[in-house]
Amino acid sequence: MCGIAGVVALGNISEKLVSSIRSLEYRGYDSCGIAVINGSGKPSIRKNIGSVEEVSERENFLDLHGNVGIAHTRWATHGGVTKPNAHPHVSCDGMFTVVHNGIISNYVSLRERLEKKGHVFVSATDTESIAHLIEDYYSKLKSVEKAFIAALKALDGTYAVALLTSHEPDRIYCARKESPLILGLGVDENYIGSDFNAFIQRTKSAVILDDNEYSIVMSDGYVVKRISNGEMVVKQVLEIMWDSEMAQKGGFPHYMLKEIHEQPQVVRAVMDLEEDRLMEFAEAMAGKARLYLTGVGTTFYVAQFAQYYFSAYAGVTASLASSDEFKYMANVDDDTFVLAASQSGETYDTLSALRHAKAGGAVTGAIVNVMGSSMARAVDHLILQGSGPEICVISTKAALSQMAIMARLALRLGLLNGKLTARDVKAREKELEAVPKVIEKILNEKSGFIHTIAKEQSHIPHWLYLGRGRYYPIAREAALKMKEVAYVHAEGMPSGFLKHGTIALVDDNLNCVVFMPPEDDEELYKLTLSSAEEIRARNGYVLGVMTESKSKSKHLPFSETIILPKAPAFTAPFFEMVAAQLFSYFTATTLKRNVDRPRSLAKSVTVA
Amino acid sequence: MKALVMAGGRGNNMAPFSATRPNPMIPVAGQYVIDHIISLLKGAGVNDVNIVVGHKKEKMRGHLSEASPHGVSVHFTDQGKPEGIGKAILKARDRFSPGENILLVYADTMTTNNIFNVAIQSFGLSNEPTAAICLTESGEKYGNVYLDSGTKITKIIEKPGKKEGLGNYVLAGVFVLPFKFFDFLDKAGADMEKALKTVIKSMSLRAAIWDGDWLDMAYPWDILTANKSIMDTWSFAEVHQSVTIAGSALKGPVRISEGVEIMPGAVMEGPAYIGPGSFIGHNVLIRPYTCIGANSVIGHGAELKNCVIFPGAQVGRSCFIGDSVIGEGVSLGAGVMTINHRIDQSPVRVKINKAAMETGRAKLGAFIGDGAVVGALNSIAAGTVIQAGRIIDHNCSVR
Repeated sequence: MCGIAGVVALGNISEKLVSSIRSLEYRGYDSCGIAVINGSGKPSIRKNIGSVEEVSERENFLDLHGNVGIAHTRWATHGGVTKPNAHPHVSCDGMFTVVHNGIISNYVSLRERLEKKGHVFVSATDTESIAHLIEDYYSKLKSVEKAFIAALKALDGTYAVALLTSHEPDRIYCARKESPLILGLGVDENYIGSDFNAFIQRTKSAVILDDNEYSIVMSDGYVVKRISNGEMVVKQVLEIMWDSEMAQKGGFPHYMLKEIHEQPQVVRAVMDLEEDRLMEFAEAMAGKARLYLTGVGTTFYVAQFAQYYFSAYAGVTASLASSDEFKYMANVDDDTFVLAASQSGETYDTLSALRHAKAGGAVTGAIVNVMGSSMARAVDHLILQGSGPEICVISTKAALSQMAIMARLALRLGLLNGKLTARDVKAREKELEAVPKVIEKILNEKSGFIHTIAKEQSHIPHWLYLGRGRYYPIAREAALKMKEVAYVHAEGMPSGFLKHGTIALVDDNLNCVVFMPPEDDEELYKLTLSSAEEIRARNGYVLGVMTESKSKSKHLPFSETIILPKAPAFTAPFFEMVAAQLFSYFTATTLKRNVDRPRSLAKSVTVA
Repeated sequence: MKALVMAGGRGNNMAPFSATRPNPMIPVAGQYVIDHIISLLKGAGVNDVNIVVGHKKEKMRGHLSEASPHGVSVHFTDQGKPEGIGKAILKARDRFSPGENILLVYADTMTTNNIFNVAIQSFGLSNEPTAAICLTESGEKYGNVYLDSGTKITKIIEKPGKKEGLGNYVLAGVFVLPFKFFDFLDKAGADMEKALKTVIKSMSLRAAIWDGDWLDMAYPWDILTANKSIMDTWSFAEVHQSVTIAGSALKGPVRISEGVEIMPGAVMEGPAYIGPGSFIGHNVLIRPYTCIGANSVIGHGAELKNCVIFPGAQVGRSCFIGDSVIGEGVSLGAGVMTINHRIDQSPVRVKINKAAMETGRAKLGAFIGDGAVVGALNSIAAGTVIQAGRIIDHNCSVR
């Protein structure tokens, strides 16, 4: 996802343009740029990598003067995060400037064709071919509008695209196919944007472009036409009655819930990762004598989850270190691989753990969500998780995605070690492929039940989260969620640990959550169950989280039971984690917490 | 956007109050449900409210035409014979014009904050038909929805029945629908469920996720829940300038309206509401979540707790009214006691249309229909329903 914006006005527009893309930053924030046209000269372009605020300051966006401009904030899909790859993109003669959101699927063949004709490309993006293509058609058709339409017709894939040209410096051409695009109508000034956040502070009148329509926007008017035949379309002008915060959340009350609901997609993205990339990563790990797993906060629990999976499926014993503690306990040398996970790729503690590892000669690898981040650039081996921007300060979808990647890496390590056969790997991968559908089912069919329990138990000040084996990291992550978002004291621990002290705490002010393995994992099932029984025997409240089993829930020692769809041992922890996310979320909303921006927390902790 | 408010239903489960009024004419926290709905509609930018009336329509018409205090235009459509919600919606078709989008509201549900705003805003995001959805403890009575990984509704299952541990988002009775919907409904033989399925198939139905309180006003005890959840949003006391309080104690958000007279020794603990023109006698104890309708009289030494008293009621001296709903113009003689729990503390049951309903509440008093008269010194057993207009002699226990 990326954000595009544009303004046509009578006065200088650079400030309006910058505030437009700043409001679209939630759509992507790895790089940005603007193009402004002043009179008849070529458009002036400034762009670079970083957030809108950083780049605007570094590149002096506000020094540009002009009445017409377009802008872009990027979340990279094709081509790395580099200055040349940032939008806008220009044609060879500098007369056509383009910003684009979407994916042009035939860009390779377009590029080859244009290069043969002598066009010189400077970026690795799909977008640049649009600028060259328009220039190419213009040289034949001598009409911007005709060239624009001809180019659009030659594109396969999806786009919201805006064009600024010195041939007609008083207007913006724009069009959409599948990616969103909206016009904003002001007085003597008009706007375009990926959504109305681009202009809501300036005007509340909007026109929504439909698929396969294009528009010409000037300061005193606009027209909308069909790409197919150039016929005018009469559009309804809508009066916007909603606020921008709500739009960014896409109809969900909070980013956290939106991102929880995006998890099926996020796991699908993990299943689409290139096999070669995963295998190459696993081979790099397998080639070293020692393996460290590191992360901090939620990613520490992701690392711990990986520790169990690497052991169970690959016979690999990895050391685990919270990245803030890494340098105090890790011994690294050139026969060591250090694997880190980070959503932002900017986490200070994890970056310094990796630096420490590198200094000791270790090979480093990371699973990162933000392309072009410091960590993505610093490590020897990288997997980009492709989860899309995560806005809520509390991590949900990014963590689940990292767990799925760790599970896939475990399978490949197992294959390399001879612990698994190709058939085993295929069978487990099949189970992973089923995860998105099951998560959808849980979100749809269990939300109400989990909401009811969360509401009933929201007055409880202390919680114990218990799990055994691979459910132990799940319990700890679930407890962290509860602390972060609901400000409720929660502790995650191995369920076997309970009777060695902590059970003394069980009373009316303390509830327990027990994460159960599937019933066919008999030993683990029985042992986990016995911990629940110990608590019940002391009149403690136990919330069981389990996948469907043969035994009726009423015979189980739980005060309440969240029963999830039947699942195999390999994937059951994913589902229990989703249930725990919902439980923390609903507890937090019942307690009227500031869900997306909990007190004292920041999205990426970039300080020591 | 114009609103279409469905308020013609009979609401049989709301006995004894449904006998004399449509559900939206039940007062909670000092306001009729319909007034509450209209003021939220106004807050969401709706200025044209079309109400479909049926059951006891004169009550609604009388109130809104005489009061019309909202600054919005209100029109009525008579649904005629009760033939289901679909038919009733079709009756109002002429009030709208092609191309228009309509905010459809079921007036038997209530929210404390503005669900209409959320529905209209969500509609604005996609410009597609929209249904507000919410989570509730007992989804089995409603339309259960399924979402894709965004807010698109992929499936609706009506009243799926009770299944352990299940809980979908449910339709919250608020929709933004295009004029075309009337055609869908017509073609579906006025079957609302089928017509919504047509929307899902031929257009797209977006969910507006409502995470505030949502109350289905189905049973008389739901009045108490609705009253409490609105009063819980009160953050300050409100005393009208004309009020005189002689040495009485106020605690918490107590709202006292115009012309109320309060005698010495009265103690009022909020949240509580005292409607205009009411009289509160000597040494009356008003405890939290008490809602006293306009022009009521509360006699000397009465104790009121978590109860909704409709306008014009008279509560005699030394009464105890707890966890109860008292209808309009009801007269309670001196010393009437509502017993608000069972001796074994088990949940109170209430007989609604001859069926004993589990309320799940340990504390619940009586539901006394409009115009009933209860003689002095009666004690009324927990969960008793007294029909509208019934007269009960002095000194005989009521069950």
